[in-house]
Amino acid sequence: MTQELRILAPDSFREKLNRRAFIKAGTATAGMAVVLMACGSSDSAPDTTEAAGGDGAKLASGDWSRVINKSSGTLAMYTWGDYDDPELVGALAESNLDVKMKVDYFGSNEDLITKLSAGGGKSSGFDIVVPTGPYIVQMVEKGLIQKFDKSLIPNMVNVDPAFLGQAWDKNNEYSVCKNWGCTGFFYDTTKIKKELNTWQDFLEACMGEASGQCSLIDAAPNFAGAYFWANGIDWNTEDKASLDAAEKFLVDELAPHIKAFDSYPSTKLAEGAYSLSQAWNGDARQAYFRIKDAGGTPENWRWVLGGPDTELFMDTFCIAAGAPNAEAAHAWINWILIPENSIQDLEYHGYHTGMKDMEKLITELAPDLVKGEIIFFSAEEVKTMHTQVLNTSIDRLVDILNKAKSKAGA
Amino acid sequence: MDSPGIISFRRKVRGPKFALALPSIIWYGLFFVVPIAFIVVYSFGTKDGSKLIPVDLGHLSGANYANVFDETFFKVFKSTLRISAIATIACLLIGLPVAYLAAFKVAEKWKAIILALVVVPSFTSFLIRTVAWRIPLAPNGFFSQWLVDMGWIGTQGIQVLETPMAVQVAIVYNYLGFMILPLFVALDRIDVRMREASKDLGAGRIATFFGVTLPLAGPGIIAGVLLTFIPMCGDYVTATILGGAKGNMIGSMIASQFSGAQNWPLGSAMAVLMIGAVLLSMVVGAALVWLVMWIVKHPSPMTIRVKHAWHVRSVARMRAGKNSVLSFDFLPILLKAWTALVLVFLFIPIGLVVAHSFNGGSSFTIWSGQPGTKWWDELFAGSVMWSVIARFVVFVVVGIVTRIALGRTTSISKRILNWTGPVAFLLAFVVNGMMTGWYESIFDFASIGDAIRNSFIAAFGATILAVFLGGFAGVALARRPGVWTKVFMASVFLILVTPEIMDAIALATWFPRVADFPIIGYPFKNGWGPFNGGMNKLWVGQSLYASAVVTLIVRARLAGLDESLEEAAADLGATPARAFRQITLPLISSALVAGGLLSFTLCLDNAVISTLISEAGSTTFPVALIGATRSTIKPFWGVGAVMLFCVTLGALWFVTVVLRRSGSSSSEIAATLAGS
Repeated sequence: MTQELRILAPDSFREKLNRRAFIKAGTATAGMAVVLMACGSSDSAPDTTEAAGGDGAKLASGDWSRVINKSSGTLAMYTWGDYDDPELVGALAESNLDVKMKVDYFGSNEDLITKLSAGGGKSSGFDIVVPTGPYIVQMVEKGLIQKFDKSLIPNMVNVDPAFLGQAWDKNNEYSVCKNWGCTGFFYDTTKIKKELNTWQDFLEACMGEASGQCSLIDAAPNFAGAYFWANGIDWNTEDKASLDAAEKFLVDELAPHIKAFDSYPSTKLAEGAYSLSQAWNGDARQAYFRIKDAGGTPENWRWVLGGPDTELFMDTFCIAAGAPNAEAAHAWINWILIPENSIQDLEYHGYHTGMKDMEKLITELAPDLVKGEIIFFSAEEVKTMHTQVLNTSIDRLVDILNKAKSKAGA
Repeated sequence: MDSPGIISFRRKVRGPKFALALPSIIWYGLFFVVPIAFIVVYSFGTKDGSKLIPVDLGHLSGANYANVFDETFFKVFKSTLRISAIATIACLLIGLPVAYLAAFKVAEKWKAIILALVVVPSFTSFLIRTVAWRIPLAPNGFFSQWLVDMGWIGTQGIQVLETPMAVQVAIVYNYLGFMILPLFVALDRIDVRMREASKDLGAGRIATFFGVTLPLAGPGIIAGVLLTFIPMCGDYVTATILGGAKGNMIGSMIASQFSGAQNWPLGSAMAVLMIGAVLLSMVVGAALVWLVMWIVKHPSPMTIRVKHAWHVRSVARMRAGKNSVLSFDFLPILLKAWTALVLVFLFIPIGLVVAHSFNGGSSFTIWSGQPGTKWWDELFAGSVMWSVIARFVVFVVVGIVTRIALGRTTSISKRILNWTGPVAFLLAFVVNGMMTGWYESIFDFASIGDAIRNSFIAAFGATILAVFLGGFAGVALARRPGVWTKVFMASVFLILVTPEIMDAIALATWFPRVADFPIIGYPFKNGWGPFNGGMNKLWVGQSLYASAVVTLIVRARLAGLDESLEEAAADLGATPARAFRQITLPLISSALVAGGLLSFTLCLDNAVISTLISEAGSTTFPVALIGATRSTIKPFWGVGAVMLFCVTLGALWFVTVVLRRSGSSSSEIAATLAGS
């Protein structure tokens, strides 16, 4: 391996900024400046390139590792749709790391696994893949991902230890946190007068005021989770009686009231399709901006972290087995763990990226970040969140979801 | 007239009857029958999540089939059949007047225009058009708000999204073109004299339509019903995007077993049963049609009396001197108005896609109220865009000017003159690309530029394969019928009816095995030239359905023509190869071109198979887009779709020009397009 190794002092960081300024200037000469500026100022949503780009000027204070390993060639990433700042998986990465990036999208962990394993364990050409934590066990077992060379990811020290060493990968040999989030719900206070706080409230509203106007996440564990959390049952339960009870309630009682199974309801909320939606926090946060975009009043909507218990999911960066350019994959993962990059990504997708000293980072790098309460949670709140365990119950849960779907459609 | 010479000649050249279909037989055997057989075997296994291919074949049993037979499956299957059947009938009822107008009531020039307008919408990405239906149907959307403001609907707005109604509308929309074309062709071939004779014999307009026109259009109706009903049954993209919980379809249930639950055995059992059920429902449908025809053909005293009464009335009315109830003929006007409405319907989503590609907001379906070109700027990487467009315009203008200038000088032959336009267009494309290097840099956002390019390369390669395979197989089917024909047609039918997700899984698990074969495995393992293994897989995967379609079209084209021309050529001493090249090939050339066009659009839209078999670096536009549809669709995808649309239209225009040079009339092109 002949990659160049160097520590980035503020000087070289300025180089990166200059390049970005150059790109913008180049655009300006073409007479695009007016348009770009108009977009930049009118769009308060932080999920645009321009808004995110503006904050790179600052450098976080404190003790951070900012190693950049230059690489070469093409880097292929397989990730979730609309989940990464386009600059960080595009132009900026290319200029910083000397690689050409290609990004493809999958819709669920199972899609990812099906795609990788259908290839019979032969390389599918992807370098970086982004599974959710619990799926890593299965992917390691099937030989779909490879071990990190941790010497190439020195910036891992920037990650908060609380988000390292998770159950699925105790020593972070295969994965490192991309970002984490939780499940809650989002509702229209003009349509649902009762104040909702718990999953019990949520389920009651689904069958009451929001009947026929509510959506649940289209993933079996989350769908069933709403019932388990509401009733104080461990959502990873393998107990047959609990699963039977869940099926009885979800299929026979809840399903007829459900309008859609929708994992990303934000756009459809803005279209006016639902008045109550189970949602992941980042998507609920997007819903505020979308509703504003569509000319609605976001103030009428309320986000609730589901209680008494709820999910904590963590999506992770992994390197696919047989990755054609594993060296570049390491270089990129290491690069995204630089706090400035990580926060730029956070501003795009609205999920906590697991960096140390998050509060300080946000004050210094992204003081204008809005709706932070849907990104950051108190220690007590985090205590109520539990990660999923992939166990024997998954077939049953998928079966329950399928039955609920057919019942809802009847 | 069979002279002994011809008989002996035939015997000499024929060889096995299926010789010409041999490429297709090998192809389907290797890439359809064998891989699908594996999946069918899986349906007797049990799930084993720890394996790479999560199937345990240790203890085979039929338990999966027993598990499928539960309430859930039947309920969803019933609603799928209902949606498909209603949509097929709706397509027929909506499409028939349009086809009728185009076939009988307008001038030749207008025929071409109407047909072009029917076909053109299907050149925009199928996925993005389906998503676009969310825009006018949204309860908070402009259309809904307008209806509310007018006081025509309640303040809740339109409540159609996430219901079977939305799926129904969009599915009719998506397949209408596949119905209109075959109908048009069937009607267009009807000899006008038959209709005139019917009228001369005293039949009224209605009696002529039901007694003469409709029965003659029978084959077209059957073709249209097959081309819409079968793919509808397997379609799940439409339901996923628009249907919510209430518009669930069987395709998504099967897909969720394969990828969601990783339960391949159950998914494959479901797919096998679904294929059986779709075939069965088609048999039932055919039996019903046959029954109706039989009753009509073998009149009972009852039907004779009805027909007689009708005839007496018509004749009486004719004697009384009023041919129709109304003195003024409203029919053409009504037909034209209806056709105009249908065309508007077909173009609504495309207009919305174009409009929303200029959305200043961050979501494709939500109009932010602020138009902007920022998503276009991202596609064109800012400044490069305008210089590219400027150069493009210069080249095209130069082409036009050259053409006009040359037009004045009579020494240039007309043939060369006619090519000036397309050549200038091509030059503008190629040279412009080389000068600005925009093949590399212009589409430089989230790999979408690569996706557009890959879509073209994949669709183009698959189309060539499909035309080659389908062309020979079609000729063999029409000219060398035998026992093999039935077997072969059955496999073609199976290819059309197998749910895409099953094909996708079958091929995705089959390719790694094929890659280990000597020689034929090489392209899938290593790729060749600039094309990687993923691209080679896409060619194979997309060619299956497309070649089946081409086969049917070529066969239908030759079915009506006997072999006398080839025999004459043979009599005059032509070798079989020469007779094929100089007689058969020209006969089927327009079928090949039209079949190729249809294949091209089908391949360009292929999402499910391509998603599972593509590799990094061979991602096509629908593959990229289907991944994004699960989360937020940025207006950027609209920009990509518009680009794809423009380039496809350009290619189509080029082909049409070529076709017209080679002398086919518009209705001939449409005829072959529709497969009659």
